[in-house]
Amino acid sequence: MSSAIQNSSDQDALLRAGIDRSLRHPVMFFMTSGAAWLAVSIVLGIIASAKVHSPSFMSGCAWLDYGRVFPSHINALIYGWGFQAAFAVIIWLMARLSRKECTSAGIILTAGHIWNLGVSLGLVGILSGNGTGMPWMEFPSFVWPVFLVAYTAIVIGSFIQFRVRPEGHVYISQWYLLAAMVWFPWVFVTANTLLHCIPGHPLMAAGINAWYRSALIFLFFTPVALAAAYYLAPKVTGRPVFSYSLAKLGFWSLAIIAPWAGMQKLMGVPIPFFLPYVGAAATVLFFVPAVCAAINILRTTLSSPEVVASSPSLRFMITGIAGLVLLGLAAVWLNLPGSTLPLTQFSLSGYGFEILAIYGFFSFVMFGAVYFIVPRVTGREWLSRRLIKIHFLFSVYGIITVAAVALFGGLQQGIGQEEWQQPWQGAATRAYPYAVATTIAWCFILFSNVFFFIHLALMWLRLGRRSLHPTLLVSDAHHGPGPHGEEGDIDNAGLGHAAAH
Amino acid sequence: MSLPNQNPDLEDSINVSEAHERAVREAAACARENRVVDNGLGPISIWALIVCGVVLLIAGGVLAGGGDLFSYKATFREGYVRAPAPGAADSGPVPKEALAAYMAKGAKIYSAKCNGCHGSDAKGNGSTFPSLVGSAWANGETERFSMIILNGLQGPVSDEKTYGVMPPQGIGMAPEDLAGIMTYVRNNFGNTKGDVITTEMAKAAIEISAARKNAGNSVTSVELTAAHVKALPGAMMDPKTLLDPITLAPAKAP
Repeated sequence: MSSAIQNSSDQDALLRAGIDRSLRHPVMFFMTSGAAWLAVSIVLGIIASAKVHSPSFMSGCAWLDYGRVFPSHINALIYGWGFQAAFAVIIWLMARLSRKECTSAGIILTAGHIWNLGVSLGLVGILSGNGTGMPWMEFPSFVWPVFLVAYTAIVIGSFIQFRVRPEGHVYISQWYLLAAMVWFPWVFVTANTLLHCIPGHPLMAAGINAWYRSALIFLFFTPVALAAAYYLAPKVTGRPVFSYSLAKLGFWSLAIIAPWAGMQKLMGVPIPFFLPYVGAAATVLFFVPAVCAAINILRTTLSSPEVVASSPSLRFMITGIAGLVLLGLAAVWLNLPGSTLPLTQFSLSGYGFEILAIYGFFSFVMFGAVYFIVPRVTGREWLSRRLIKIHFLFSVYGIITVAAVALFGGLQQGIGQEEWQQPWQGAATRAYPYAVATTIAWCFILFSNVFFFIHLALMWLRLGRRSLHPTLLVSDAHHGPGPHGEEGDIDNAGLGHAAAH
Repeated sequence: MSLPNQNPDLEDSINVSEAHERAVREAAACARENRVVDNGLGPISIWALIVCGVVLLIAGGVLAGGGDLFSYKATFREGYVRAPAPGAADSGPVPKEALAAYMAKGAKIYSAKCNGCHGSDAKGNGSTFPSLVGSAWANGETERFSMIILNGLQGPVSDEKTYGVMPPQGIGMAPEDLAGIMTYVRNNFGNTKGDVITTEMAKAAIEISAARKNAGNSVTSVELTAAHVKALPGAMMDPKTLLDPITLAPAKAP
């Protein structure tokens, strides 16, 4: 009996190893090129941020004007890093949860290269002055159909895997993944056709653009990150997800609330009067799905503090969930029409909110997923716990500074802007110290992500440690602390029983 | 004779224990994984419900704060005047000199009503649309000029040529608009009369136009010469007078 169980669990492990092997190159391609774009985006972000407080910085180069370098920073972050990290997680997680090997690695890799080509051409388009000027949609208009085709080719396999999965329970992560896979093309096609193909009234176009930004965060990045978090939390700790009903509440409240959000950015603009108010109310309500998911995931993980302390994936993921809670609070706090909304409409705060969502929440959960997935798909363990710690600490310090500074500095700037009888200089002066802090913080984040990229590239080259033991953040008493993890375990140590990470 | 697959697949070149170790190592990360379970039955804490309830109330407040959400008039308020900012005296718009204020009004009307035929340089096209630059009727007696704008024109014009029929432009035209467009044409495109047709003069022109014998038809050069070769009643305004650029009323002393 016991040997039968052992046998079936061995076969299960082999199946999972087979799935991982079939996805090695697509997943590593998306993660590594995503990390490279992340570094590029941060360099552009540093230049843009430096120009806010020192306008003469690099002013001789037209390609690096603020009006070009800032959109390229945001677009590289979203389409270069955000989407590619999401693709890696979607294809891997859906294959794992549907228990199907990937049979279309070649198609996915081709589509991935096309996506990267689109990002590169789009960035050249923006930097050469051919951007569209619509936030988050600045890539020249030939790029979006390319993205749509590449996206379809990348995720179609995941849809099929879900369709032909063995009968049975659909896991929480699969709800979120499937939702994100359906919501993204809806949002993307709607916004792009309305803005590029059948342009209507420019004010309404600005409204659609604001809705698109909000919908990308709430209807794509949020569900993908929550899918990863709902997978990692029980997987690494070995505990069941805290509450199934809370998970359902979180999912359905997100599905019902999130599509309404976004147009509060156009408060006071002559578009149909209810739209900005509905947008503000929906953004405030985003707190509910955020806090439901956060409670669920934190209650699942925090009961195993020793695992949280040692596992890199959990540490990043939990930081990301803390970012989600902050995001939910900021959504309430920044969108009150009578008081804070006028201050955040045209100031740094909007940027702070977006960075908090993309980096403070989404990216941290993605880092957690990367630290979990890569050892499995490459068959190697992470090289160095020190590199992971550097990545974590500098990212956390950096993102706390960027988000806090942009949120508070934005409010200060907004107060300056509201004093309409004072010269505009007043608003700029109020934002100055915050802009300096943002530049420094982005430098920290760049430092951490260069190491992340190098680490990841080495792993893809299969230069990771050959070991049966994971690279954990705290050294295990049994093995003694080696400078680069449990090196004593290299080869021949037999099948270990160290905790999963 | 044995079936081929009954022989153990062993070759000397394969080190079995090494290959096995490699296989184990490759699957090690998968083998040590926990299974995912999602059937937790934890209760939804009362505090979470209270916090979500508070947020729900805030969101309701945001919606209710909008007032009448589906009212057209809430967005497009008729006669809306921006309330002065709290604590600051409302000084109103910055006063402008009369000529500039009337010209600004006239420029808008010109681009809406006249530009299509007379062109942005007011030179017409020489065949169907006459030029306004240096035109004797545009720069001449104000009543004649106003009658042409209000009623349109057919037949020969001041240079004895006959162009296309000009449709009447006076329908729905406010006195400020008529004064603006006349001032604009007489002081632009190379015309330099330097005088300002006031709103009062334009009002009189509209009354004269309504009282015409054949009101509703375009004027002709015969009718113009017979009845309208005179200045509109009322005095021209000093072009340097300071006016409120929106109402065109004299600006209050600061």
